[in-house]
Amino acid sequence: MTIPYITWMAILVLLPTLLIILLSFTDLDIFDLKSFSFNFDSIEVLKREEVTRAVLNSIKFSFLATILCFIIGYPVAYFLSNLKSKNKTLYVTLLIIPIWSNMLLRIMAWEKLFFPVSILNMFGVSFDLIGTDIAILIGMVSMYLPFMVLPIYSVLEKIDTSLIEASKDLGANETKTFLKVIFPLSISGVVSGTIMTLLPAMTAFALPERLGGGKIPLIGNIIEDYFLKTANINAGSLISVLLMILIVALFIVITRFDKEGETLI
Amino acid sequence: MKKLVELHNITKSFDDLVVIKGLDLYIHENEFVTLLGPSGCGKTTLLRLIGGFEQLDKGEIIFDGKNLQDLPPYEREINTVFQNYALFPHLNVYENVAFGLKMKKVDSETINDEVQKALKLVKLEGYETRSVKKMSGGQQQRVAIARAIVNKPKLLLLDEPLGALDLKLRQDMQYELKDMQQKLGISFVFVTHDQEEALTMSDIVVVMNDGEIQQIGTPEDIYNEPKNKFTAKFIGESNIIDAVMKNDFLVNFEGVDFECVDKGFDINEEVDVVIRPEDIILTKETPNKITGIVDDITFKGVHYEICVLVEGKEYVIHSTDPVTIGNKVSLNFDPDEIHVMKKSV
Repeated sequence: MTIPYITWMAILVLLPTLLIILLSFTDLDIFDLKSFSFNFDSIEVLKREEVTRAVLNSIKFSFLATILCFIIGYPVAYFLSNLKSKNKTLYVTLLIIPIWSNMLLRIMAWEKLFFPVSILNMFGVSFDLIGTDIAILIGMVSMYLPFMVLPIYSVLEKIDTSLIEASKDLGANETKTFLKVIFPLSISGVVSGTIMTLLPAMTAFALPERLGGGKIPLIGNIIEDYFLKTANINAGSLISVLLMILIVALFIVITRFDKEGETLI
Repeated sequence: MKKLVELHNITKSFDDLVVIKGLDLYIHENEFVTLLGPSGCGKTTLLRLIGGFEQLDKGEIIFDGKNLQDLPPYEREINTVFQNYALFPHLNVYENVAFGLKMKKVDSETINDEVQKALKLVKLEGYETRSVKKMSGGQQQRVAIARAIVNKPKLLLLDEPLGALDLKLRQDMQYELKDMQQKLGISFVFVTHDQEEALTMSDIVVVMNDGEIQQIGTPEDIYNEPKNKFTAKFIGESNIIDAVMKNDFLVNFEGVDFECVDKGFDINEEVDVVIRPEDIILTKETPNKITGIVDDITFKGVHYEICVLVEGKEYVIHSTDPVTIGNKVSLNFDPDEIHVMKKSV
């Protein structure tokens, strides 16, 4: 039963990963296998200022975006799950609809609005945000908010109402019921939402490139530069490996918060 | 006894469906009251109204002299054992039981003492750190009871808490709950659809049907003196027979006149007569008795359940002596075993 799974995982995950690790520590000019030799020269690249800045940028923006998504998303999810309206599905669908359109298009739509000359001038509004932190954060929050809301919503939705009644029965008012029962029971949704937001934000590259106007590179942009612009495959691979380690480490830390072990992802 | 809860003219409907129809009920201090009825009769809704989980449409609930109107559940000195126990899955046994006391901001030493006492009462000492998710139904039910009684409420509401347990455990818990109620000296309102459970545990049984109270009384009253056909049918097995009241102390059914102990009916009033299966004794065919043919006999352990056909109508009789299928037999019963009821509309 597990053979197809193992085969696919080997071809699609294990092999590319090993290849990237191998490429990190070789001296290889593109398409010239004769020049193949092991060395650890590429480690030097990590000391470059542009790389450390990109790593810090990635961490900064992904954490800020995740926190903002949580602050905005939790109340939205809570509101949706408590909705008694028959239109509940409609409201949830409205939240999902943006995901159906291509992310690159949505990024470019924001980009147009953030230039001083935009369609917003019609309403007497003009922004000059391209290349600012705010532009990137607005972009990230708008891209990833549904991924924070949905897992929290689905966990909140599943909480047995009798638990909330039991809490009130035992003397907890609305606030205490939320803090002592509802929120602890929704942790697995928060953890899933955090993973769904933090990790794509950390690996983002189209978004900072367009909305950052090339001034605010994230790790993704540096990797792209090394591979496509300077053809420095070894350095690009090494930074990819670094990013991977960072993500796996974060993943391990985040999932620790979910004591129930019910995180969806 | 002092009245603890007074329900006056309670009415509740969901959308257009009226589930409780102008109901009045008193619950006294230190009383074990059971709300008994088929599913959908409004007994759980009544319990939820007392607990504060549903809002009244009309009427009032007086608890310990105070009107409970607009008082949220967390301000009522009432605790509930929920049907599915509703234990907090993210907390262990100790934390579940301590929840209510923590909300009241009791100091941690007292909490510890009280939790230990409550766990001892439900025989769960040593389970403090156990996850409630890893417990059996019976254990979970004990945690739910401990979690409620640790708060020393004046009134404990129990919503079919024994429903999910197997027969043996259920019977054990029935005695334990009764015992606990007497030890704690608080009032219990217990909801069930199981008539045997109601009779075993209660001081007072409230028989409900269709949002209305059919009868309130001690288990003995309810069983021996059912007020109407519904109660007679719902509580235990019974033979309900169409009859005519000839005079005081004289009733006629199946074409035979019988002496009875009931009076106060109109002459020739049509009535229902109840005779419990265990009150009928079968003898050989005798004149001036109801006579029928043995149709079926089933061994039930303590007794045989015998089915006798009298002119096409079935009578159920419980007897320790077996009879042969196809034999002609007569039904014998004493005048005080005939219970005459007004015809219900």
